[in-house]
Order: sequence, then structure tokens, then C-alpha cells
Amino acid sequence: MSMSQEEIEALMNGSIPDMPDMSEDLSEESIEDISIEDSNDDDDINDILAGIEGIVDDDVDTSMDEENFEDILASIDDITVDDIEDEESVETKNQSDKYPLPVENENKVVNQLNEVAADSEQKASQIFDVLSFILDENNEIQNYNKQMSEFIESQIELLDSLSTKFPNINIFTENKEEAKKLVETSKELSSKVDGENNKVFEAMELMQYHDINRQKIERVMAVIRKLNSYLNGIFEDDSNGPEVQVAKHISGDDHDTVDADDIESLINEFSEQ
Amino acid sequence: MRILIVDDSSTMRRIIGNVVQQLGVAKEDFDEAEDGVVAWKLFKDNNNYDVVLTDWNMPNMNGLELVKTIRGVDKTVPIVMITTEGGKGEVITALKAGVNNYIVKPFSAEILKEKLDGLVKG
Repeated sequence: MSMSQEEIEALMNGSIPDMPDMSEDLSEESIEDISIEDSNDDDDINDILAGIEGIVDDDVDTSMDEENFEDILASIDDITVDDIEDEESVETKNQSDKYPLPVENENKVVNQLNEVAADSEQKASQIFDVLSFILDENNEIQNYNKQMSEFIESQIELLDSLSTKFPNINIFTENKEEAKKLVETSKELSSKVDGENNKVFEAMELMQYHDINRQKIERVMAVIRKLNSYLNGIFEDDSNGPEVQVAKHISGDDHDTVDADDIESLINEFSEQ
Repeated sequence: MRILIVDDSSTMRRIIGNVVQQLGVAKEDFDEAEDGVVAWKLFKDNNNYDVVLTDWNMPNMNGLELVKTIRGVDKTVPIVMITTEGGKGEVITALKAGVNNYIVKPFSAEILKEKLDGLVKG
């Protein structure tokens, strides 16, 4: 079980806290609650559907018989059900040809996982570049904003002294008020950029999960390697005996075996020839 | 403050570097190493680090071996282990090997700042 930061702190301070039993977290009761809620959800969805348009599953006409279906297909493209069945059987055959995959480097599971981990590391680095770029740009924006704000502050001072000196000229007072509003806008902009920076830092922190997930992949790879070595060991034949030819069909097999009658009829067939 | 960041994940090194920079450490004041072998070479050659932040699971030489190797020549430099290894046994093993503090990934920037502050002040 993994330790929390608090537990590590406690350990550093010399006291080892009691570790809670995680199995208590998932009681049968809570699992039952979840399944009851799920079934309620399904009922609710049916009720809502029925309530809105009067649609009930039973209303849908699924009684199209095979003959009609065949007629429709034939009228469209001269396709018959047999054609579709043929295609399906070809697809199934292709699938069965594909698996198990041949033992080639690109199909080896550990190689594939290794590739996923490496690719993911590369992409994570690129995402980090983008986040770093946003942070740098935001810093630039903050610098420009600061310069603007400083200039506006100096203009406010100027307009303040002008409006005091020439109280009858309204434009000075009006512009001073406008400039004060701009200073507020600048502060708001600065706080929005700060907020955005915090979100970028948050995203950078979350990118630690890339490393954690990579290590989980590496753990799976280690299990596969150990399993491979174990299976190779347990199936290894160190008797050095000659390879014995094995029987292809043995009585009791499900397919391709013949009984006494089959044998008789085969013998008769051959004798007639 | 000179810091040595050791992690085989380049993303993790950048994340840690970012936090360190937020603390006011300039980019040229921290070095990065992708495994214990490179880290040990940097440590030997420079011998001027104020803090070492190291991962545990790395190729060539892991973090625990690095800690033991450093402790063989330097008993004082603060070392923080930053790792996904969150088991009690691992924490105890790392402490016995000579780490001053231990952080389990994923961690918040605040935690690392707190620990570094503690080490620098302490």
C-alpha cells in the first residue's frame, strides 16, 4: 500500500501511523447501492423516452422477415443474403488468419509497450514545450501591462495637477477619470494572467501522471518478461530424447474421428474401386 | 543555491526544474541528470551542490545506489528522494541509506517548496 505525504512526515518524525485497511472502502453494501442506482437509471431513461414521444421498445417493428429483407436488397443492388454471409465468413477468416500474430519484432508485446512509453514521453515533452511557451508569453504580457500601467499612472498625476490648476477645463478631469478606469482594467488584466499562469502550473503538475503511468507500463513489461522466462523454463524439455511423432486424431476427439461404421464403409468403398 | 535534479523522465526533470525556478533559483544554477551514473559524475566533478533531488527507479544506477554513493563521500549535502515508490518499506530503506526527505509522486509544487525551504533553513 502506498504512503501519503502525511504518513511519510510522521515516519520522518519517528512515529509510524496505523495503516488503514483499504478493503473497508469497498463494502458489499456500497457495491449494491451502485447497482441499484444503475438499474434505477435505466428505468428512468425508459420512462423519460416513453413520456416524451410515446416511444416504447416494443412499439418498434422488428418483424421484417427474411424474405422481405432479401427482396429489398435484391431491388437495390441485386445483393442477396448469401452475398452478405459470404462477406462475413471472409471477414471471420481474415480475423482468424490475423491471430495469433506472427512472432515478429513489431508484434512482440514488450516491444509494443516500450514503443508506447517512449512515444508518450516524447509527446509529453512537446506538451511541456507548449505550456512553457504560454508561461513565457504571459510573462511578456505582464511586462507590457506593467509598462502601460506605469505610463497611465504618470498621466493621472499630470492630469491631476492640470485639473487642479485649471478647474474650469473639464476635459482634464474627465480624462483623469478615464485614466483611472484604465488602471483598474490593467489590474484586472494582470490578475487574469496570474490566474492563467496558475492553471498552467496546475497542468504541469498533472503531467507527473505521465511519468507515473510510464512506470506502470514498465511494471507490466517486467511481469511479462518474468512470465516469459518462467514459461520458457517450465516448458523446457531437457530430456534430450528424440521428437516423437504425435497422433493427429485420437478416439474421443470432437472432430474428424471415424467410428467402426465409417471405417467399414470406407473399406467397402475402396474395395468397390 | 546549486541544485542537482536526477530523474530518467525528461518531463519530470522539467516539472521539478520549474518548481525550483519558482523558488527563485536561476536556470543556470541547477543541473539535470537522467540516471545515477551521470548524476554521480556531475556531483564528483562539480562538488558544489546545495541540494540533490533524485528519483529512485532509473536505469544504469538507481536513486538508492546514488544516495549511498554520495553518502560515501559527503555526509552533509541534503538529499530529497522524489519517487513513485510509496511503500513504507521503501521510505525506511531510503531513510536508512541517507536521504533527508522523501516525496511521493505526484506531488504539489507547495510540498517541494516546503521541503526545500526546510532543508535550506535547517
